[in-house]
Amino acid sequence: MNGVSRATLALGLAAVALSLATLAGLPTPLQAVAAIAVLVVLPGQALVRLIQVTDVALGALLVLALGLATLTAVSTAMFYLAVWSWQACVVTMGVITVLACTARARREATS
Amino acid sequence: MTSTLDAPTRTVRRWRGRDAWCALAGVVSLALAVGAASTVSVPVNSDLGLVALLPYPFWAGLLLLNIAFVVALRGDAAGPARRSVMIWLIVVLVLVLFGTAAFVTDVPRGEVAFRHLGIADALSRTKGIDPDIDAYFNWPGFFALLATLLGATGLDPVTVALWAPVFNVGLWLMAVAVLTGYLTRDRRRRWLALWIFCLGNWQDQDYLSPQAFGFFLHLVVIALVVGPLAARLPEFRGFKRAALVSWWRRRSAAERRPGHRVGALAVILLLVTAICASHQLTPFMLLIAITALTLSGRVWPSRLPLIIAVVLMFWLVYPASAYLVGHPPLADAGLQLATDANVVDRVSGSAGHVLVVQIRVVLTIVLWALAAVGAVRDWRRGRLDIRVVLLAVTPILLFPAQSYGGEMLIRVSLFALPFIALQACSVLLPAEGSTRPSSRRAVYLALTCFLLALLAVTGRFGNAKYDVFTDGEIDAVAAVQEVAPTGSAIISAANPTPWRSEAYLEHRYRTISNLCLSDLTTATCGPIVYDYARHNAAGAVVILTRSSEASLVLQGTSSARELAELEEWLSVQDGVELVYSNADARAYRVTP
Repeated sequence: MNGVSRATLALGLAAVALSLATLAGLPTPLQAVAAIAVLVVLPGQALVRLIQVTDVALGALLVLALGLATLTAVSTAMFYLAVWSWQACVVTMGVITVLACTARARREATS
Repeated sequence: MTSTLDAPTRTVRRWRGRDAWCALAGVVSLALAVGAASTVSVPVNSDLGLVALLPYPFWAGLLLLNIAFVVALRGDAAGPARRSVMIWLIVVLVLVLFGTAAFVTDVPRGEVAFRHLGIADALSRTKGIDPDIDAYFNWPGFFALLATLLGATGLDPVTVALWAPVFNVGLWLMAVAVLTGYLTRDRRRRWLALWIFCLGNWQDQDYLSPQAFGFFLHLVVIALVVGPLAARLPEFRGFKRAALVSWWRRRSAAERRPGHRVGALAVILLLVTAICASHQLTPFMLLIAITALTLSGRVWPSRLPLIIAVVLMFWLVYPASAYLVGHPPLADAGLQLATDANVVDRVSGSAGHVLVVQIRVVLTIVLWALAAVGAVRDWRRGRLDIRVVLLAVTPILLFPAQSYGGEMLIRVSLFALPFIALQACSVLLPAEGSTRPSSRRAVYLALTCFLLALLAVTGRFGNAKYDVFTDGEIDAVAAVQEVAPTGSAIISAANPTPWRSEAYLEHRYRTISNLCLSDLTTATCGPIVYDYARHNAAGAVVILTRSSEASLVLQGTSSARELAELEEWLSVQDGVELVYSNADARAYRVTP
């Protein structure tokens, strides 16, 4: 993984670990924290890193906006396809995060 | 023109005594306001709402908070107080203004939040979308999001609804902060704009709703448009065709890196899709705002309005087509119709209620007047930012297009508010940009902010008599859900009833005010309600709650005596039986 930043690696691994933890189930406050992280914050952060926002405030705003909008799109699509379950959404958002991290890692490796 | 496309610079400053005192004043204000609000007992029995019951420490806390903010904003010659102090004071203001009801009661305010929980619950049970159910299932994006978040987090839905206003306003403020960062370099102006945005936010649209979510995404899109997707303008040489064409062609992108612009465009496409899937009105507000900005030459991708229009049209003609077949978009268009629904029909009811409505109007007019004077002042100095004016004014264009259930004026004032607040700062702060306000001006500013806060609390919580529910009403609704068989109708006096959060699809929910329209006299309305209940194959349960009856009396639709007569008549009809009763509600089962 030459050239891949630790942040990208940590983000991808956190998405996998927290997705599994959320699916396995945690005590109530931890479950909420883990679920919000894996459904909104981590995908938002991974997608923001793809577009390389330099303004910190705009970046922080886009983490939430992108995370929420992506989850809205994923959940709505699953309902229309009649395949919705919150577990499927967790898995999908985890996969999106990992894919975004992979794309970022490839960019980092080639730059 | 006050315009910047660079990231705002950070100023590292040491803690000073004034900063510490301002932060401490914030703590004291919060303690006073929360302590005072928690002493208020429900039900709220004043026609003026919560404002009549909040004890004086609440107002003392609010006054102290506004003074602390103005002192912090005034700061010194280098600028306002530290960023952390300013943020802390805004957090306190959000908790005081938007969390007050949560400190009074554990029950979410307003019926609609319960209904929205019910829709998310219905989605998660059916795991599919039937657009023929109602309008919500034609714009299900927000409810799909809510269903997923509630399922995955395991959070209590009622607690989520209770704190949603604080959370939503927090999101809005983040977006407004970034947005104003692109519109002005003046730090005092930006902090004050956030403060005024909170103080002018009487519209009460921050509850758990697609509107609150859509408004957040709308603000983010606008931030991207005035930020990474902005255009740099050449000198303007008049309105002749050749000069205009030349001016348009010589525009350049403010963001020099094409990859970043493409990234911003991709983000906008995703956000617009989420907005279109979640809310009826917000995409139109966004479309006219972006179109106006584009026509002014301030947006680099000039086809952006077309892209938004295509996404919007796709949503309307495909996923939302079931609703639109029976509800053409311009069916209730027209200035007269909109004025009647949004103004005339709302300024009626008891003296206290009319006063609250008038205070909302006054608050809006005061802010718009300040913004107008500020715009003239900026224009005279050659500093008027046309983007701010366009973003403040364009929402008005939708006013005659739809009455929106009598709420269009509320939505117009909400969508204009961030820009009205920013423009109003031109009057409230010294004319010379970035100048420290004088002591006298600071006193006026503190008094103005406190007055606006007073009006905001009055306007925002003015319906507390019927939108703050008691535990008795919650118990009554739960009891009705238990006794009402599947397929039966549940009939309440009026919409302010904490119902439909469960079994959204299992019952037909009706209100007496809708069944009988304007005539709620026993002679006319009684037989209509009784016949409707009896002719429902699975029967019906009529629930009469304190809040639903209060709403009809407060808004002048009926009187307490008329409603008591109606209930008395209904209770002695064949097949009608009292099945639940407490101090705040009665429920009658009507067998078919």
